[in-house]
Parts: sequence; structure tokens; C-alpha cells
Amino acid sequence: MTKPAVVLIGGDKGGVGKTTVARTLLDYFAHQQLRVRAFDTEVPRGTLKRFHPNVTDVVDINHVPDQMRIFDTVNSTDATVTLIDVRAGLLSPTLHALRNIGFIEAAKKGDITFVLFHILGPSIASLDEIVDTAAYLGDAKYFMVKNFINNTYFFEWDEATTAAYFKRIPGAVGITIPKLVEMAAEQVDLASVPFATFIANKKQSGASASYSFVLRGYVRHWLDTIWAEYDRVGLTDIIEARESPRPPIGRPRPIIKIAET
Amino acid sequence: MTDKTTPLYIVCSPCRRVGKTLVSRLLAEFYVVNDRPVAAFDFADEDPQLADYLPGITTIADIADTRGQMDFFDRLIADDMGAKIIDLSHRVFKNFFTVVQEIRFFEEARRRSIEPLILFIIDPDPRSAKAYGMLRHQLSQASLLPVRNQIKTAATPRVGPNANMAPTSLDIPLLTFPLKALIDRQSFSFSRPRGTSPADLPVLLKDELSRWVERVFFQFRTLEVLLGCA
Repeated sequence: MTKPAVVLIGGDKGGVGKTTVARTLLDYFAHQQLRVRAFDTEVPRGTLKRFHPNVTDVVDINHVPDQMRIFDTVNSTDATVTLIDVRAGLLSPTLHALRNIGFIEAAKKGDITFVLFHILGPSIASLDEIVDTAAYLGDAKYFMVKNFINNTYFFEWDEATTAAYFKRIPGAVGITIPKLVEMAAEQVDLASVPFATFIANKKQSGASASYSFVLRGYVRHWLDTIWAEYDRVGLTDIIEARESPRPPIGRPRPIIKIAET
Repeated sequence: MTDKTTPLYIVCSPCRRVGKTLVSRLLAEFYVVNDRPVAAFDFADEDPQLADYLPGITTIADIADTRGQMDFFDRLIADDMGAKIIDLSHRVFKNFFTVVQEIRFFEEARRRSIEPLILFIIDPDPRSAKAYGMLRHQLSQASLLPVRNQIKTAATPRVGPNANMAPTSLDIPLLTFPLKALIDRQSFSFSRPRGTSPADLPVLLKDELSRWVERVFFQFRTLEVLLGCA
């Protein structure tokens, strides 16, 4: 049986495109016909939920009942993948909380698959985040994502400095998200639909839309490139890893609070 | 969308002054002469350009930015305009085919019963051979036909057989000097009834021009049949 998989998408800095990456992952998993539940931690309105309302719940990661919802979902059979889009500033506290409740340990034992997409910003501060994050990782699959969708230039990264930081997480794998034509990104945002739905020229309701063919073409090309990256790193194989012959993990102990915001 | 397949001709070369506008004019007037709907798109940036010769059916196009690309490509596949002709400037050549490939324009065009045909004007410039090879390799969804324009470049190289099309090339034959000068005039039209070409033209030249036009138009008719657009 396939192990439950938890995919965490985060980065301590805001505006680095965490939700964009989460959206590409939800489209990718849907394309791979993997059952997914997603949690959007942008309370109260949510951002990810606007694009993927059918599979997404908005949760306050600071509230114990919401934490329990997430962890109950991981243990349920409804979804193969549980995706958590962690809002800016909460990556380290969330990892801290996951460790406290034995989640990281469960990943180490092979009871669950834990995947982290760390969305890096252009500044050296992002490299410091890597150091903070490394302390929590255990056996998690760690992807460092350079996201160029916002026209980011990683100009501050001296190669030697970068290598020194990356060395702290030996199994880390880099992923590059290319830039998307601004007008295409805007139009998908306005349409409030998944990228794959935009490409298919559909509305959220499933009705036909009239999006520009050129913009749909650009989005398709961009998404294909990203999916090729996910294929390259073997994401599906990681997610579909088989369960070890151990009993499923129990309901985790509730934690009190992850972070004060 | 109609069931009838309509042709989309892309007249191109990575080199300048090889006769792209002449071929585009001939194609456009091939439709005009038979009162068939045709729309032309002019990317040329040097005078005289297609819009100077055929202002009534030609739109100036620009795909330098995303807005321009939307205006151009979205219209191209949405409108039922009959035959469409693109006169592609050498400066736009690379960007045009990059965008076409990225947005998979040819696949969508075919889905909408538009049959693209790239008419590539060959000449001895090495850039030409390189670009031709690139198109053959990367754009297999469209038919690619070399054009030997002997008016501009008499020493055009022979090309190998084209896997997609029965003819191996489209030939624009040589014209004598006075006729060459005549057809370059902006007031000149290939689609005028053959018997009413300039009155002061000697009969011999009139006949030569008539035969020349007929030879070119015959090849266009063959192409239409092969594209399934006749």
C-alpha cells in the first residue's frame, strides 16, 4: 500500500511564490491521478483555495483543532498526498511543531513520506533559512526551489557561499521554476482557476471560457517545463513510495501553538 | 469555425531582400483575382512593404510584446477570413517561430481546419540553410516548402525532396528587366485581367508577363490541392 505523503511548501519570506508552486504541484498530482487534499494557511480568506476550492481547506496553523484536521487527513485513506501551503514566516515554526508531535520521526521510520519544497528568495537571508530548516529535516525529501516566476534574480548568491550552505543538507535537490509571461500569470490569477483548467479553456464551473489562445499556450509551455522538473527529480516515485510493514501512525498529540504572529 | 480547410501561408527567410514581399503579393492576388476571401499580415519593416501594394487586405502586425502576439495569433485562429498570408520580416523570423513553437500554434491551427504552409525563400546565404534545417527539425507540424525565387537570387541552391509535399519547391521564374521594374511599381497589380496590363507595354512583354503569372498561379493551385484547401 502507498504510504501517506505530506508535501510542505514554505519559505520564510513573503512574495517568493509559495502558492504558485503549490498550484503547480496540485495540477501535477491531479495529472498523475493522485488523490490530494490541500491546506491553505493564509487565514482567513486563503489564496490556494481560490484556485483549487474543491480540494483545499483554509486552516489556521496556530490553532490546535486545525492542526488536528491536517494530521487526521494524513492518516485517512481519502488522499494519497496531503499538501500544506505554509504562509510566509511560518516554515520554521511549522517544522518545529511537526518535530514535536513526532511527525519527523514517523518519516524517519518510513511510516510516512515527507517532502519539503523550500521556496528560496533572492537574498542571502534565504540561505540562512536553509540552515534553520536543516535542523528539522530528518529523512525528508528536501527540494530547494528557485522560483523565477516573479522575475527574481538570484544575484546575491556567490557560488562558493551558496555551496557552503547547500552542503548542510547533502540530499537536497534543486528545482527551478521558470518565469511565466506576466500577462499570462495575471489572466490565470483573474480567472481564479488551476493552471491546467486555464490551459483547457475552462472556467471553475467546467463551462467553456474564452481565454486568449496565446496566453494559454504560454501557460502550457511553462507548466510543461515545471512538470519536467518534477519528473526529473522523481517526484511521483517519491510520493508513491510503498508503505513499510508497520502499523499506521497514531493520532498525534495536539500541540498548543506553533508561533505567535 | 467552418468545416472547410483554409490555407495559412507563411512567407519567410532569415535574410533580407530575397523577395518575400513579392511572393506574398503573388499569393494574395492569386485569391483576389478569383474574388476569394484573403487576409494578409505584414511584418515587413522596409519599404516598399506588402501594405503599400495591397492596403485593402493587409494588416500591419507586430508581435514584439505579449499584447501584440495576442492581437495577432488569437485573431488568426479565431477569424474565418479565408486564406491567410504572412509576410515575415527577416528581423521577426526567429521570434515568430519561437512563439509559434512555444504556444503550439500550428497544432491549434490544424485543429481549427487551418492548414499552415511555410514558404521558405532559399538563397546562398549560410544563414538560410541553417534556418531551413532548424525549421525542418523543430516544426514538423507544418509543411515546409522551399521557394526558389530566381528574380532575386538566380543562383539558388537545389534542394532535396520534401517529405511533406509532392513538389520539391515553388519556383518563381526569371523575368526580363523591364518587367521586373514594372512589377516593382506600387501601382502594379497581378490580379488585373491579363489583357489589361499597362497599355504601353509591347505585346511580347505582355505575353511574357501573362505566361509568367500563369506559371506561378498554376503552382499555387497545385499547392491548394495538396493542402486540401481547393
